[in-house]
Formats: sequence, C-alpha cells, structure tokens
Amino acid sequence: MIEIRNLTKQFGDFTAVDGLNLRIETGEFFGLLGPNGAGKTTTIGMLSTLLLPTTGEIRIDGELLTRKRTDIKRKLSVITQEYSMRQDMNMDEIMEYQGRLYYMPLKQIRQKSEKLLEFCDLIDYRKRSVRKLSGGMKRKLMVCRALLTDPEILLLDEPTAGMDAISRRQMWNLLHKLNEEKLTIVLTTHYMEEAQSLCGRVALMNHGKLQETDTPAGLIEKLGAFTVDERNADGVVSHHFHNRQEAIAFLEKTSGKTALRDTTLEDVFLTAGNKN
Amino acid sequence: MGIITIIWEKWVEFRRDFYKITLAAMVAPLMYLLVFGLGIQTMSHGEPYLNFLIPGVVALTSMNGSFNAIAQNLNVQRLYEKALDQVMISPTPLWQFIVGQIIGGSLRGMYAGCVILALTMPIGTGLVFNGWSFLILFLNGAVFSSVGVVVSFVAKNHADVPRFSNYIIMPMAYLCNTFFSVERIPRGLREVVSMLPLSQTSSMIRSIACKDQGSLRGIWILVLYLAVFTAASMTFIYKKKNL
Repeated sequence: MIEIRNLTKQFGDFTAVDGLNLRIETGEFFGLLGPNGAGKTTTIGMLSTLLLPTTGEIRIDGELLTRKRTDIKRKLSVITQEYSMRQDMNMDEIMEYQGRLYYMPLKQIRQKSEKLLEFCDLIDYRKRSVRKLSGGMKRKLMVCRALLTDPEILLLDEPTAGMDAISRRQMWNLLHKLNEEKLTIVLTTHYMEEAQSLCGRVALMNHGKLQETDTPAGLIEKLGAFTVDERNADGVVSHHFHNRQEAIAFLEKTSGKTALRDTTLEDVFLTAGNKN
Repeated sequence: MGIITIIWEKWVEFRRDFYKITLAAMVAPLMYLLVFGLGIQTMSHGEPYLNFLIPGVVALTSMNGSFNAIAQNLNVQRLYEKALDQVMISPTPLWQFIVGQIIGGSLRGMYAGCVILALTMPIGTGLVFNGWSFLILFLNGAVFSSVGVVVSFVAKNHADVPRFSNYIIMPMAYLCNTFFSVERIPRGLREVVSMLPLSQTSSMIRSIACKDQGSLRGIWILVLYLAVFTAASMTFIYKKKNL
C-alpha cells in the first residue's frame, strides 16, 4: 500500500505538487491524470526517490520511503518518461546491469532476460546498442528491464508515449495481465482511453493539486453518462446528461450538427480542465 | 556487491572502448615526453631531465585518466541519458555506487599510467616503480575520480565539465611538480601548490623512482583529499533534492 501525506514539492518559487494526499491499495491499478505541468511526473519522481519532497512523506506498506531505504526500493520498479538508459550498452548489458543493481544472481538474470526479451519481440536485437533502437523498442526494453526484478509496485510515467497502436495495445494487455497477478501499478498518461481501459481508480490533478479521485466510471457518472456534441461556428461544444431521454430532448431542440455518444474519461478531463 | 556492479559497468565501458581509451591516454603524455624529454635534452640535478619528467608524466596521466573516466561520463548519465535515475531508484546503496565509481575511475587512471610506463620502458632510464608507486597511483586516481564525481554533480550541463577541467585539472598538470620542481615556484604560492594532490603524488613517485630517501607522508594528504571529496559526493547523492 502506498500512502502519500501532505506531499509538497517546490522548485524555487514554483510549487509543482501542493499538499497531495493519496492512498493506493495493494494490487490497485491507479492513474494520475492531468494536463502538462499538473505535477504527475513530479509525484512519480518523489515516489521513486529521484526527487526529495519539500514537505510531507510517502509510506510504502507503512514504512517511510527515503533514498537510504534499500529494502523498500527493492519493491519498486519505474518506467520513466525519458529513456533512462546507457545509450552505449546493448540490450543484454542493460538487463544485466539492472539485475546486478537489484542483487539478482547472474543465472537468473540471463534466464529471465531471455524470456522477457522474447515476449516483447526484442530477442533478435539483443546485441544492438540502445542508441540504434527505435523509440518503440526502447520503450519495450524499459518494460523488460522494469519487470526483470519482480517488483511489487510498478510506477509508469507515460509508458506508451511514442508507441504505435499495435505496440500500445500489446503494452495494455501486458499491464492488465500484470495487474491481475496483484502487481500494484501507478500510471500517468495523456491518453484518456488508456486510463479508462486500464485503471481501477484515477486521480485528477491540476496545478499540483488533487482535484478528484474516483473510478473512471464514477467520474463519468458524475459528469453525465451521455454526451451530445454540438458543432457551431466556434467548434465543437459538448453537453453532458445523466440520462438518455434528456440528451435526446436536447438533440431535438438544437438545429445545428449534433451527435449523441457515451461520455468518456476525456470529457471528464476536458471539463475539469475548463473549470480551471 | 553494489561496488562490484559499478566496477562491472566500468569494465563493460572499458572493454568496448579499449582502443579509444588507450590511444587517448597515450597521445598527450607522449608529446610531453617527446618535446620536453627527448626534443629539448637538458639535465636536472645532474640527471637527464627525462628521469625527472617520466614520474611526473605518469602521475599526470593517472590524474587525467581518472578524472576523465568519471566526470564527463557521469555527467552525461545524469543529465542526458538519465541512466543515473535507474541507479538512484535501485536498492543498491548509493554510497556503494560512489565507491564503485571512485575505484573504477582509479583503475582507469592506473591503466593510463601503466601505458606510459610500458612505452618508456625501452628507453632504459633505470627508474624504479614498485608496489608503493602503484599504491600512490591508485590513491591519486581515487582522489581525482572523487573530484570527477563532485564535478559531474555540480556541472549544470555537458559543456560545464571541460570548464571545470580547465580550472582544476589543467593548472595542476602544469604546476604540480610535473615539468619542474615546486621549489622553483615563488614562496607563498609554493606552499599552496605543494599541498595539492598531484604535487604530492609526483613527488612521492619520483622519490621512489630515483631511489631517494623521500617521505611517504603525502599518502596521508591524498587520503585526506579522498575523504573530503568522497564525503562531498555522498552529500550530493543523498541530500540533493533534485539530482
């Protein structure tokens, strides 16, 4: 279980995360959503000890997380937004380095690396240096590296950024499967479809503050499960309704181009963004 | 265990760039030896100048080898590749990461020094290099590796590292007992320069090489420098809020 209490991070005068309180249960698939600059990556940075909080604390299974707590850090794996890898190492070396950093026996590192690289269709490129890999391949390699150490908590900062549609779907399936095996996953993403499909619960953040936490279905329900998109001179305006009859009644009243559809998490996100 | 991992990482780097590293270690010291030692043939204290020069150049090469192996590389890993992030996140204690970097860098410096020794061997100078010489070279390398770690954490971008090198490494290379004795430096400055780590290293290695009865108290000075810069590195990696 992850407990975040009054977490604040300031960079000079700028407050990136402002008094964040969150509780993420073991085995949960949790999404942190928000526009650019909302404080999602900074939160992941503090959860991974890359950044130290200005005030507040993070507890993992009741224990205070610090850079010195190697026993807690062993439970975590992180896929950062950037390709955080030695560019001059090849895939085998990247995997071995990771395994060694987590004190895994060499034989186990080699066996598990082989399996993971095979699973992610990277095995034929294992001797290729990171510098020569495509963006999608680098992402997959980061996933292999994160899973090598059998983490209990996986922190993912926009893991599918730069991936094509097929690779993204493969990644979703993999993450879904891992979560079914009771791995706690904390995900930040710009893709609302991704959050809606994967996350059991999401938190909306803006300007470093937590705005709302609920299940994607709960957030959609609060906004209204039915949406009518109305196209006018200014573009598309969405109207949200709690039942279909209200939405149809609205449709009949309007004369412009309109369409009725189910509300998505993206609508929730856009509405929350517009309020700010 | 974490220390071994970091030394393994340095070994992977060394194995891959073996020729580049070896050639880079040779060029500048060979030029110094050719120009000052063989080109301008002079005597110093009744001995060929080359006998004065070789121990100094070996010490200088180990300093450069160690500093360059760490400062630039670690700075790139921290700011550009972000590879340091994975170490920070991992359960490997960060002090072991620092110690691994220092030992790895020191071994690279020693390797560079040994290349110069091997190249000057055919000249037949009669200079002596024994276990003490290598211990001193190792300590010298460790000091400059730890300086490299600090520089890599302090430098705000890639271009800053050569600047630090210009301010710290280059003046030492020329002033610290390498090409001429610190005795010839004016008083006041002489006391400062003679306490710098490279002056101590050159002086001790030269004493051993020329079979003089020199003191090895400089070892303690090197240990002191090593302790200070290692402590500074530890403070950065554990306390810096936005590494």
